[in-house]
Amino acid sequence: MRSAFFLALSGLAAAAELPPDHAAKMTQGLELFRQNIAPLLQTHCLDCHGGSHTKGDFDLATREGLLRGGADGPAIEPFRAAQSRLLQLVRHQAKPAMPSKKPILPEALAAQLAAWIDLGAPYDAPLAAGKSPPRDRSQVSPADRQWWAFQPLATAPPPSGAPHPVDAFLLADAASSHLTFNPPASPATLARRACLQLTGLPPSPEELQSLAQDSPSAPAYPALLDRWLQSPAYGERWARHWLDVARFAESSGFEHDYDRPHAYHYRDFVIRALNEDLPFDQFTRWQIAGDEFAPENPQAMMATGFLGAGVFPTQITANEVERTRYDAMDDMLGTTSSAFLGLTVGCARCHDHKFDPIPTQDYYRLLATFTSTVRSNIDLEIDPAAAAKAKADFAAETARLSAALASTAADRPSAFAAYLRDRSASPSPGWALLDNPQLTSQGGATFQPLDDGSWRASGPNAPSDVYTFTATTTQHPLTALKLEALSDDSAPAHGPGRAPNGNFALSRILVTAAALPGGPPRTIALLPPQVTHQQNADHLSGAAALDDNPASGWAVDQGGIGQNQAASFPFAEPLDFPNGTQLTVSLEFKVNTGHNLARPRLSVSCGPPPDLRAPVLPPAVAALRHRPNPLTPSEESLLFDWWKTTQPTWQEAQQKLARHLASKPAATSPVMVCAEGFPPIVMHSQGPPFLPETHLLKRGDPNQKQQVATPGFLQVLTRGDPAQWLWTPPPGSRSSGHRRSLANWISDVDHGAGPLLARVAVNRLWQHHFGRGLVATPGDFGKMGALPSHPALLDWLASELIRGGWKLKPLHRLLMTSAAYQQNSAPDPAKTAADPDNNLFLRQIPRRLEGEAVRDSMLAVSGLLDPTLYGPGTLSEDSRRRSIYFTLKRSQLLNSMLVLDAPEPLTSQSLRPTTTVAPQALLFLNSPQVRQWSRAFADRVAAAVGPATTDPDPFASRAYLLAFGRLPQPSEREAAAAFLAPRLAADPAERAAALTDFCQALLALNEFIYVN
Amino acid sequence: MSTDPSHPLAAWRRRQVLQRAGGGFGFLALQHLLRQSGLAAPSTNPMAPKPSHLPGKAKAVIWLFMNGGPSQVDTWDYKPELQKRDGQALPNFDPKTGFFPDAVGPLMKSPFAWAQHGQSGSWASSIFPHLAQQIDRMSFIHSMHTESNNHSPALFMMNTGVTRMGNPSAGSWVTYGLGSPSDDLPAFIVMSDPKDRGLPKGNASNWTSGFLPGIYQGTWLKPKGQPMENLLRPADLTPQHQRAQLDLMARLNHTNLANSGAEAELANRIASFELAYRMQTAAPDAFDLTKEPDSVRKLYGLDQPHCAHMAAQCLMARRLVERGTRFVQIYSGGMDNQLSWDGHSDIAGNHRGFAQETDQPFAALLADLAQRGLLDETLVICGGEFGRLPISQKADKPGRDHNPHAFTVWLAGGGITGGLHYGATDDVGHQAAVDKVSVRDFHATLLYALGLDHDRLIFPFQGLDQRLTGVEPASPIQKLFA
Repeated sequence: MRSAFFLALSGLAAAAELPPDHAAKMTQGLELFRQNIAPLLQTHCLDCHGGSHTKGDFDLATREGLLRGGADGPAIEPFRAAQSRLLQLVRHQAKPAMPSKKPILPEALAAQLAAWIDLGAPYDAPLAAGKSPPRDRSQVSPADRQWWAFQPLATAPPPSGAPHPVDAFLLADAASSHLTFNPPASPATLARRACLQLTGLPPSPEELQSLAQDSPSAPAYPALLDRWLQSPAYGERWARHWLDVARFAESSGFEHDYDRPHAYHYRDFVIRALNEDLPFDQFTRWQIAGDEFAPENPQAMMATGFLGAGVFPTQITANEVERTRYDAMDDMLGTTSSAFLGLTVGCARCHDHKFDPIPTQDYYRLLATFTSTVRSNIDLEIDPAAAAKAKADFAAETARLSAALASTAADRPSAFAAYLRDRSASPSPGWALLDNPQLTSQGGATFQPLDDGSWRASGPNAPSDVYTFTATTTQHPLTALKLEALSDDSAPAHGPGRAPNGNFALSRILVTAAALPGGPPRTIALLPPQVTHQQNADHLSGAAALDDNPASGWAVDQGGIGQNQAASFPFAEPLDFPNGTQLTVSLEFKVNTGHNLARPRLSVSCGPPPDLRAPVLPPAVAALRHRPNPLTPSEESLLFDWWKTTQPTWQEAQQKLARHLASKPAATSPVMVCAEGFPPIVMHSQGPPFLPETHLLKRGDPNQKQQVATPGFLQVLTRGDPAQWLWTPPPGSRSSGHRRSLANWISDVDHGAGPLLARVAVNRLWQHHFGRGLVATPGDFGKMGALPSHPALLDWLASELIRGGWKLKPLHRLLMTSAAYQQNSAPDPAKTAADPDNNLFLRQIPRRLEGEAVRDSMLAVSGLLDPTLYGPGTLSEDSRRRSIYFTLKRSQLLNSMLVLDAPEPLTSQSLRPTTTVAPQALLFLNSPQVRQWSRAFADRVAAAVGPATTDPDPFASRAYLLAFGRLPQPSEREAAAAFLAPRLAADPAERAAALTDFCQALLALNEFIYVN
Repeated sequence: MSTDPSHPLAAWRRRQVLQRAGGGFGFLALQHLLRQSGLAAPSTNPMAPKPSHLPGKAKAVIWLFMNGGPSQVDTWDYKPELQKRDGQALPNFDPKTGFFPDAVGPLMKSPFAWAQHGQSGSWASSIFPHLAQQIDRMSFIHSMHTESNNHSPALFMMNTGVTRMGNPSAGSWVTYGLGSPSDDLPAFIVMSDPKDRGLPKGNASNWTSGFLPGIYQGTWLKPKGQPMENLLRPADLTPQHQRAQLDLMARLNHTNLANSGAEAELANRIASFELAYRMQTAAPDAFDLTKEPDSVRKLYGLDQPHCAHMAAQCLMARRLVERGTRFVQIYSGGMDNQLSWDGHSDIAGNHRGFAQETDQPFAALLADLAQRGLLDETLVICGGEFGRLPISQKADKPGRDHNPHAFTVWLAGGGITGGLHYGATDDVGHQAAVDKVSVRDFHATLLYALGLDHDRLIFPFQGLDQRLTGVEPASPIQKLFA
């Protein structure tokens, strides 16, 4: 009895305003509990809430659990049944109605419950036998800190018993099994294993030959390891592992899966960082906050692509704005914690983590780190030295081409003299500008006349406008009018129109002419124009500017934006006014809002209308062209300046210069970063790109906001004052400093999460070298993950990593020079019996290569591999570059990769499954690329063996050497001979086909895609 | 795989096995290799059929996805009150319910005539004359509701149980849970619009395997050209030479198998080449509709230009299910508004058009499956990602905007009792009101039909036992089953 009271009263400590007679009530309630309530709860409630399940996070097996309530909040208020939610649910006055999906309880039972609650809801014992009260997971206890992964690194030195520390640790743990390592693999097998693991490519025959020169003073294997670690292929291989962890892709997913064309820089950063052996702690810090650590360093900026590599909706309705933003921050946080710390904090989004000491409050503190972190495309000078060289090269070439242009016509004085003598025929007539031009706008635009005879529009861009152009000319007969729509830097998208997209739409052109002096104006009939470009052949064509329909007209989108455009309107009849002509041209823009011209120019032709693209002559030149000799020297000079531009040599040189100038190297490249203070990449959203504050959310629901969360760290990985990691950005910074603070904590070996960071990192290396991590769940070091099979070894390796300045390459070398690594993979019945899962690492297990390495190996063996590093990727399966350069577009993942188990880049993936299914075999049998590579492989072998050889044996030997790094065994020679011999003697086509079939079969063999 | 020997799939399987036993050197050689390796059969095949938790009747699922969100009040949810209140405002309506808060109109009656059909007297609008003839096979859930008013999150919700991108689809969960009765056809097949109107919004994430192994991902049949990758042998490789290649590979692989240290896995890979070799024949055969008699082709409407494309897809679905494919999903309509059931304007024209495309093929599918005795073992699902509002969306010809609060899904076959109506919406069809069914409940029901317990179909990932139905409560609607 006493204990029952103790149980009952202890729960009341926090309750306010106890009724004065609460002790008596509780005693009374206890009786009710025993007789009625306990059976009621057991029959109707316990199974889902504390028995076999704990739905809604609500466990009423104990009074503490009942008082705590569930995910929806408190269930009862002791002594106040009327305020108790549980009763409302039971009486179906609120949802979810309880018991769930069962008939409503009789009111008599509900009334008993109410009475019991009014008596304080006491228990005499837990309803489920042996059940203790659920613990409060919102607080991190000292016991939580005892979990192995949260401990400081153990400092035990390697045991004795083997010269290599890794072997010593493994053998010590295997001692009780009385088993030891397998014998060493053959040098060729080992070299193939090491090369494929380090570079994702098979060793070359030359590299294998170096094994023959192996000697104690110059051992071949360590030298090869160094060679492969220094190879750029190393970074390409190991970056791929990390990109799985970083859920890296280059499109946003969701509705439209928009491309992120500048996201590949993150992939290049990872490759470069690994090749340069960037210390792993710095690698970590830059990915979280490169912009806050080293904004001047393009690599650090590129590194932040990590945070932004996840999916994000492209179309967001008003009531989804908050949820999608919380999802996006959850993606950043979830990936960060899984990738670097091997922790699944996402579980704490809706409730305190069920297994790991991660309270919801910690989750939202971490989440708040990313409150204002968004994706942006910014311009960066990726490689300053290369950019400076490109700039200098460009300037030199500009000077060379300009000089060439200046000299082209000057060296042809005789040709000009001939032209001066007789100017009647050549060169072909051009378009002539008009005299006394005036231009006005009905909509209030103002025009600035430019030297080339064009007019730059500025000021108001009226929804619709009419430009009126008046001018005179003495030329005759006039045969056509040319309207140029010139592009201009002042216009949106460089014009040629003033609409936001750079377009214009000329609904009508109207020309009137009057004979000078003082003739009556009359309308000139125009014929359908020749145009440089038109938006369509229908209602947005050049001809559409001639009709009276204001909804149709000449427009130039769909390929014409940003370029000079022109239309030439022939006159239906020539206009021959010997004393000159007064022209009025009215240009109407009524098709679409603000679709007015940015920089028009008008010119006319006399005589047969010239080509649309023929040059426009200034009036002075036009006049000179027909003036009888002699001309003054200045007139000759003026004419020469024009004449030379009509000469093919000049035009050619001019085009060369223009092409060169158009290819001016950009000093900067756009790069997608994920940072703060830059213009965010905006989607079709009915809300802002990020929210001003991050709130603690009840059940992860943005409609149930609680207090504002301030950035912070995981309590369980915090020793000392969190202020030690806080970084305050200098005044004027564009960012908050929150991510740099987080990165400081994550990489702090002494007081923060650094030891765990190191453990997770070395475990990933071990995983890829030995097939399984020392912690078999590399993305989960929490309580749902696996325990370390060799904790002392893991901690020693983590310490080594830190001691070596967080450099990964020495660690690879350390692991790969162990006897454990170098042993063979032969099966051993004793080991299979004693250690079927190879937890002791006493043999190597053959493993299939990842899809990327399979494909890259095939390309390498075929001789077709293009080793170009870095840069934009491709979606073409025909690419010959390494597979890491495939663009990862989420809606178009490539079949060849997916079918070989490449993960969908949606969440952080630490383990790839290895499945074996028929579609993989179809890839090897029927893919056009595999067939093509097989043909190239066959050609490569045939070239080495000799084109006329009909003996299959040398062929098989060479092919085996290239594909497998070894020569065929007798039985294999026999099989190859049986397959090849009948067809090798046939005609060349049949012979080539046979060799291709054979080589394709080799690429499909188990040995080719399994690492022994 | 059912142990019932009269099961048509079982019968088909037996025929296949017999044919394979005489299937040439490769298969015999493989048997030999496996015996030598001490293996009765490849033991690591993740697609091997697995027993269900419960005795569910359904062995396969055909999900007819009315992409874009069909209007419940213009299809299957008859609302006389809506007819009466046509033109009146809907009180207390939150304009953010739909996608276009600026185009909120008054209540709008259905533009279609309604009638009762069949023994059950179920109501149907006039746009489904063929399905009306099958109505006693169909049971309706009128009280579906979902969590997003936007296409792709709602599509993800319907397909994967969450509005976010990246969780495994129902088809992946089912093939993960039950494996595949067929080893030379994909277990989970998806067909999208073949009329150049695009994929559903969210693209392939609607049939992703998410965190499940990639082999459980839906195989999307390309609407044009060869439906599957790498199904055709290279043009310069004859069948004889490919057979010889396979035999050579078996022989060379064999050399290194015994002492490889990974015998089972490697033997399984050898077997996979034989399966692939057979798939080259089996899959094109399943896709070849010319093998169907004219009467069947006509039944589906292959001769009708307005529905020939959907007829072909439905008929192919039947051929696939008959051959052991576990899960088939067919999307009606494409990506953009109006090119799917997303009738933001002219709801009458939009729905009439898509009903014409689907009515006869869907009805034929039910009749054909029933006639072959396959309907009992095939769960047919038909519905969209959300419903539409009973008010109009203002336009020249009025449409209806998205409605996450109510939509109708009908089910047939796979143990479903026909002619039932579960749940109800309010008077005007705006919100689910009686016996509300969440998408989780719907998924639990789908799994239940197949004998899978949604609580026990789990996959550990990121520290949690993941489920299609997530962590919130879910229950199958057992009342729908006989």
